[in-house]
Amino acid sequence: MSAVLPTDHGVWQRQSLQRHVVHRRDDGLAETLLLVEGLRCANCVLRLEKALTALPSVKRVRINAASRRARVVWADDRASLQTLLDCVERAGYQPLPLEAGALDDARRDESRAALKRLLVAGFGAMQAMMYASVLYVGAIDPLGEATRALFRWIGFLIAAPVVLYSAQPFFAGAMRALRARHLGMDVPIALAIAIVYGASLIAAISGHGEVYFDSVTMLVFFLLIGRYLEMRARHRALDLTDALARATPTVAQRREADGRLQPVAVSELRAGDRVQVDTGALVPADGVSESPACRVDESLLTGESRALERAQGEPLIAGSLVLDGPVTVRVERTGAETTLGGIAALVSRAQAERPQLARAGERAAAHFVSLVLVLATLTAVAWALLNPASGLTAVVAVLVVSCPCAFALAVPAAITRTLAVLADRGVLVTRPDAIEALAGATHVVFDKTGTLTDGLHLGSIELMNTPAGATGEAVAPDDPAAHEALGLAAALARESRHPISRAIAEAAGGRVVAQADAVESRAGDGVAAIVNGRRLRLGRRGFALAAINAADVAAASTWSRGGAVLADDIGPIAVFHCGERIRSGAVDAIASLRAQGMTIEIASGDAPARVAGIARQLGVDHWQGGLLPTDKLARLQELRAQGARVVAVGDGINDAPVLAGADVAVALADGTDMARAASDIIIAGERLDRLAESRTLAQTTLRLVRQNQRWAVCYNLIAIPLAATGFVPPWLAAIGMSASSLGVVLNVLRIGRRRSRHKSPSGKQDDLASA
Amino acid sequence: MNILLLMIPLSIVLLIGAVVAFFWAVDHDQFDDLETPGLLPLTDDPPGDENRDE
Repeated sequence: MSAVLPTDHGVWQRQSLQRHVVHRRDDGLAETLLLVEGLRCANCVLRLEKALTALPSVKRVRINAASRRARVVWADDRASLQTLLDCVERAGYQPLPLEAGALDDARRDESRAALKRLLVAGFGAMQAMMYASVLYVGAIDPLGEATRALFRWIGFLIAAPVVLYSAQPFFAGAMRALRARHLGMDVPIALAIAIVYGASLIAAISGHGEVYFDSVTMLVFFLLIGRYLEMRARHRALDLTDALARATPTVAQRREADGRLQPVAVSELRAGDRVQVDTGALVPADGVSESPACRVDESLLTGESRALERAQGEPLIAGSLVLDGPVTVRVERTGAETTLGGIAALVSRAQAERPQLARAGERAAAHFVSLVLVLATLTAVAWALLNPASGLTAVVAVLVVSCPCAFALAVPAAITRTLAVLADRGVLVTRPDAIEALAGATHVVFDKTGTLTDGLHLGSIELMNTPAGATGEAVAPDDPAAHEALGLAAALARESRHPISRAIAEAAGGRVVAQADAVESRAGDGVAAIVNGRRLRLGRRGFALAAINAADVAAASTWSRGGAVLADDIGPIAVFHCGERIRSGAVDAIASLRAQGMTIEIASGDAPARVAGIARQLGVDHWQGGLLPTDKLARLQELRAQGARVVAVGDGINDAPVLAGADVAVALADGTDMARAASDIIIAGERLDRLAESRTLAQTTLRLVRQNQRWAVCYNLIAIPLAATGFVPPWLAAIGMSASSLGVVLNVLRIGRRRSRHKSPSGKQDDLASA
Repeated sequence: MNILLLMIPLSIVLLIGAVVAFFWAVDHDQFDDLETPGLLPLTDDPPGDENRDE
């Protein structure tokens, strides 16, 4: 993300602003939700929690590291929102108050409800099993009829909350599916639960036949475990709304009619307003520049890697970073109508339209359960013809022994295991389906700026005033002739954080450089300082040559354009030209993906010439430059129309639509929130090469899932005929059911085993950082 | 066997108690963050120390 300047939280004192973000609770306290930038690990959470609770007015703090949200309840008659924000900032984090509407946390509610259901089912399953085992033992060592009846009714009592409360999601899902007139996974499961429970109830009332309360509770418990694991993985995804909130500022400086600057909420801005944007701040809305000239960085929005010059009357887009302000912007479009809002809309549309990947595992399980229901019906018909009295028992035995839970668990257990192994290796998967899609992918489309490249490196140095008098001679940075110029430039470059300065300082490496004195840094222009008694300037041409007379400057205009100029009071010394630096590991990543038989493409919003250069260096034949987000999405759809399954890798806001529309979307952990919110897989650190490794693992997972399913089919081929003919007593059915589920779970533990289990000390930190 | 008539209801009451306690814990944020509290004893910076060590 862009650097965020220390913010003045005083603007939040205004009631009209506070109204949006502070919720008044029934008990008179105030509650607010902060999005906290910089929260990376459990340790940060602790530190922030400590800092906030140290404030006397704060009553309660809840911080979620995964969603980076802090919920604070405090007495606002004793401390202002500003105090709170300042406290967060002093602890070293950037707080951003979210709209009060975000306080109803749908994910939290869902996760809590699921946990409660799971626990009730777990308790119920254990208890029911305990009481059922008495009945099973009684089958060998007969109990009195009264005792048997007692245990049946206790079983019924225990199973009731499990079926009526814990299994609710299955019944609700089945109802939804039936109303939509299609058979999902939930219909057969709900039917099986209802039949087994109903039949056992009839048996308990009538006093003969078998009860299966233990099996039905266990079935619900196992199925809920699968659902719970899946939900946990899903909740790790970043919220798109949060991402959008972070890409735009919340407060803008509006120029009032009387010329004063007034801080207002961005949501209050209207077309025609004039706002002032300072250096390093984000443009709050789409508009037109009214300042003579300025430079903006749109790299996150468009993929354009160079700073753009914007003259008076030229458009500025919301979310771009102003490099040399202040700029006055006349607002033209706000909120959802801005370019950024349009990209966000494109993201949500592409996500909604993404072909729902038929989940092979779930589909197989649904088929399987339907098949079992058909078999059970056949059994019922056969027994009705032969011996109606014991028909129901055999039908229920078929339903229980067939154990759909081995099937239902096969996929979630394998996926969860894979997610854990990948997280350990710094790859965070937020959409579990992505595992299946990744295993079958055929194409990879990379974004360039920020994905394949990260920052700049010093390409060549043009020497102007060498002792030999040579002019315009371009040499490599490690050429001895450039040694002196590079050393002088590095002394100045160390004083600046501009990307070009950093590239120069890096090229100078560990070389001893002179100390720069009287350093004067001008944002957007360059650095001036005294080095070894010489007055030097490094930066834009106009700035560096300011002390030199006009004739020399005119002569200098024949040099190749661009680059940072180093000059002293006599004349120019050298020009430093930068190229984009290829991300470490990108070359390996592309090589290993290609070795797996995948086709690699580069689709970038940057100028075609620069894209071509990078593509050549990486040996990628298919590339396209100058693409808008919609063009990228179109290219992706074209590939998919040809039957390709596409993995998209990106980091910028302009990549978000293409990520949302891809079969598998991969974002880098240091990319924009928008890209991360739109993606399925987030790679921590700079390890692009993890992608190929993850694909191999995904393929292993799918193989194991299929193996588990084949295994479950074999088991059922033996068990179902026995159950249908009435040879399987309930205790054997219960054992068969749990043993097959256990087998499935043990089998998936093999995922990720073969590799040596070496783990970097920062491994855990990595995956938290990207959570 | 009559002791069963006492013990079984007792176990069910205990079970209900356990479920109620768990529901209370879930509703009071006890399960929202399962990672941070585990690290609590490992931090040794005194309260009020706001230096970041990353």
